[in-house]
Amino acid sequence: MTRLLGVFSLIVFPLVVGIAQGKRDAKESQIFPYTINQVTLDNGLKIVSIPFDSPGIIAYYTVVRTGSRNETEPGKSGFAHFFEHMMFRGTEKYPAAKFNDVLKLMGADNNAFTSDDETVFHTVASSDALESIMDLESDRFMHLKYSEEDFKTEAGAILGEYNKNASNPFQAIEEKIRDTAYTVHTYKHTTMGFLKDIQNMPNQYQYSLTFFDRWYRPENCVVVVVGDFDQEKLITLAKKYYGEWKHGSYTLDVPAERPQQEEKTINLPWKSKTLPTLAIAYHGPAFSDSQIDMAAMNLLSMSVFGETSDLYRKLVVDGQLVESVRGEMEENRDPGLFYVFARIKNRNNIETVRNAIYQAIETAKTEPVSAERLASIKEHMKYRFAMGLDNADHVANNIARFITLTNNPESVNLLYSLYDRVTPDDIMSVAKKYFSQNNRTVLLLTQQEGKQ
Amino acid sequence: MTARIVFLLMIGVMMFTATTQSAIKFTQIQSPNSPLIAFRIILRAGSINDPKGKEGLNALTAMLVANGGTKDLTYSQVVEKLYPWAASFDVQTDQEITTFTGEIHRDHLHDFYKLFSDLLLHPRFDEADFKRVKDDNLNYLQNGLRSTNDEGLGKEALNAFMFEGHPYGTTDVGTVQGITSITLDDVKKYYAETYAQSNLWFGIAGGYPSSLIGEIQNDFAVLPVGQHTDITLPQPKAIKDMEVMVVEKPARAYAVSMGYPIPVTRSDKSYYALLVANSYFGEHRTFNGILMNHLRGDRGLNYGDYSYIEKFTGGLGGAPFPNPNTPLRQQFFSIWLRPVQPENTHFAIRNALWELKNLVDKGLTREDFENTRKFLINYSKLWVSTMSRRLGYQMDSEFYGTDYYIDAIVKELNSLTLDDVNSAIKKYLHPSDIKITVVVDEGKGKQFLDDLTNNTPSPITYDAAKPQNILDQDKLIQIFPLAVNASKSVVVNAKELFEK
Repeated sequence: MTRLLGVFSLIVFPLVVGIAQGKRDAKESQIFPYTINQVTLDNGLKIVSIPFDSPGIIAYYTVVRTGSRNETEPGKSGFAHFFEHMMFRGTEKYPAAKFNDVLKLMGADNNAFTSDDETVFHTVASSDALESIMDLESDRFMHLKYSEEDFKTEAGAILGEYNKNASNPFQAIEEKIRDTAYTVHTYKHTTMGFLKDIQNMPNQYQYSLTFFDRWYRPENCVVVVVGDFDQEKLITLAKKYYGEWKHGSYTLDVPAERPQQEEKTINLPWKSKTLPTLAIAYHGPAFSDSQIDMAAMNLLSMSVFGETSDLYRKLVVDGQLVESVRGEMEENRDPGLFYVFARIKNRNNIETVRNAIYQAIETAKTEPVSAERLASIKEHMKYRFAMGLDNADHVANNIARFITLTNNPESVNLLYSLYDRVTPDDIMSVAKKYFSQNNRTVLLLTQQEGKQ
Repeated sequence: MTARIVFLLMIGVMMFTATTQSAIKFTQIQSPNSPLIAFRIILRAGSINDPKGKEGLNALTAMLVANGGTKDLTYSQVVEKLYPWAASFDVQTDQEITTFTGEIHRDHLHDFYKLFSDLLLHPRFDEADFKRVKDDNLNYLQNGLRSTNDEGLGKEALNAFMFEGHPYGTTDVGTVQGITSITLDDVKKYYAETYAQSNLWFGIAGGYPSSLIGEIQNDFAVLPVGQHTDITLPQPKAIKDMEVMVVEKPARAYAVSMGYPIPVTRSDKSYYALLVANSYFGEHRTFNGILMNHLRGDRGLNYGDYSYIEKFTGGLGGAPFPNPNTPLRQQFFSIWLRPVQPENTHFAIRNALWELKNLVDKGLTREDFENTRKFLINYSKLWVSTMSRRLGYQMDSEFYGTDYYIDAIVKELNSLTLDDVNSAIKKYLHPSDIKITVVVDEGKGKQFLDDLTNNTPSPITYDAAKPQNILDQDKLIQIFPLAVNASKSVVVNAKELFEK
């Protein structure tokens, strides 16, 4: 491990042109090379700030630790994402058009996204726009106000978002496999939500007010600022603009998923021309920056399914049986799924491919990955992470993800320390623990007979 | 609020462009303190260089170079070497140029350079790699573009329709029959003829040593010098009234693209006037545009509605900024409506063209002009937030023979007048003489085209109450006449597209 860390200390010098190296003062042994400041206001709002040499530029993120995981009530799936849209519908002080006019004059890039565990609002703009951004953002987080008509109109855009991916079989695969693999947990539905719930959204105006009241609260949100800013001024402005925001009281009770008892299978016919696609999902661990399972599963995904794996060579390069194969562990707050996907070139080879995947998984349980290969995988992950920190937006995006998962930006360093500790035995151990037949859901998507 | 103009990536950078003693052109952005090095190696050939009947040869060759082996290493061995560095050597194929890209930490610069230069200079051209890459390209057309990506299908269908009979008229990976007919010998022959020093343009940015340039010149001297010649482009066919291509495939919502060639590129002064006009009308993935605000914001018709005055790729998923290195000598104006519910699609097309007519008739107000100009001057700085993107934009500027594009925007927009913008709109933009592609559900094409051709009214209903001004506009939009040229309009099945 010493060698890897030694190599990595070279990587972590700032990666953006023009950066003064003297600014770097985080610990040499940690993967994240920049100082992370954390200040919590009296109302519970945390301000995470990271000085980064992007002259004249800041990235400003607000992480709401609410995503489709929070949609526990029947008929309300997709609501976290819907609410992301509603946050652009304005306030009394800044109606939607005025909100956008201010951003336009800044020349800002401003948008948002939602996933299972988070809703994230992000802006990249010039540093001297900081106060204006804080004014806009605090105003809409505290005083959002929209009409029922606007709410219903936005429901059309949501359906449009669903529609834009409707021809992509992977949208349907994800819907089906989640719905089947989970019985009670809210990961049963995608972030977009069940289509029937999306179609019913125009009738949910009253619930939307409840949703805002529950989740858009300071203790559930974290502001992340990365780039060229003054720390003292940032905190002064945070107190000024967010200080009046009232703490909430709602607590979430997500139903825990019980262990799957038997294999589940799905056949999904597809109307359009498509290659047969095999998707296999195993219930896996929740994200953790202290327990080894998630880190081991991530390394396993590369070891067994990555582009240097025996399986990849066998199926993609040498055998040319599949167009692509990949395996990945979802990193979620609650236990997520480990997915394997394969797009098979000829339907006559479906069983051969399926058996090759199962064989690779069985091998992972009994044959340790070589120390040399594991070192190569760990090095790959570290370089990939470090090379991704190439502008303020990318840094903020990376850190926001860890805040979502643990509410602690330092989890980035803890996780990569965990990777260092993963051994070949750990990988065999998680393979045995999670990759059992009873714990898997298998979906096969094929072109419907008679279609071409 | 005032925001100062941002200057990003302008510090500690030295920029050079030179054609040195080798015939290879170089663009350099040297930043000694940077631990990263970005490469963009442009082959000055694209799908327009494909021989007739071998459409896809340029792309297949480039993909095989980037995703094959070297004389000494198999493809798997190349992947194995790149892996611990988290490096990749990719290729972006396009119509005029082909761009190989790579990015590496300086710890591995020399080994990485040696590896990708070997890929470029001594490709393995293995039969099994050839089959794999060829399959991938056929799958992209047959099982991807035609069936699983309606938005991409609509855009590529529009490109084929606008540039019918023109070298731009195929996808950059070619056609199904073209790819099918390509042999490994065709690839070897094309490589030998095209991968010449005079066709190569080396872009390099970041913390590389100056000695690397000499090393590249030396290593690449094994390539023939050659003689770069631009393919002569004919004028695209004139469009009369509204020519419609309705594409049938299973679809729950209908994607729409429309547009026409324009005789304006970044080389022209009018481009910058149109840049302002277009940003006001349909800036990609923002709420600035008229189209986005009126079709999505007011009416909830779909997820997004944008317009463009040149080819635009990328900008989906993450940051909304366009990819560099897709320059064209002949550009086009286009409107993209993301999938609309079937019952509202006719209305949405009318709505977009009605808005375009209003833009042409009324132009921008002084306030619109000033705000949009200011937006673009600031916003364009964000397009070059990484070294690789900066390099790509610099090379595009050289393609068009302009100053660095981001600087040119500042300079040209600062000297622009409202009259320049409104005159350019009148001269180059129009809601008629336009081609439209619509991806519709199976069996629905004829009726859809008939409704367009017959100007059947397309009233719209909403779940929500609407302001009176919107309802008044709707009454005009639902009967807004579209002059469909029936003799030039067709219904096709998706499987017929990109065939030959």
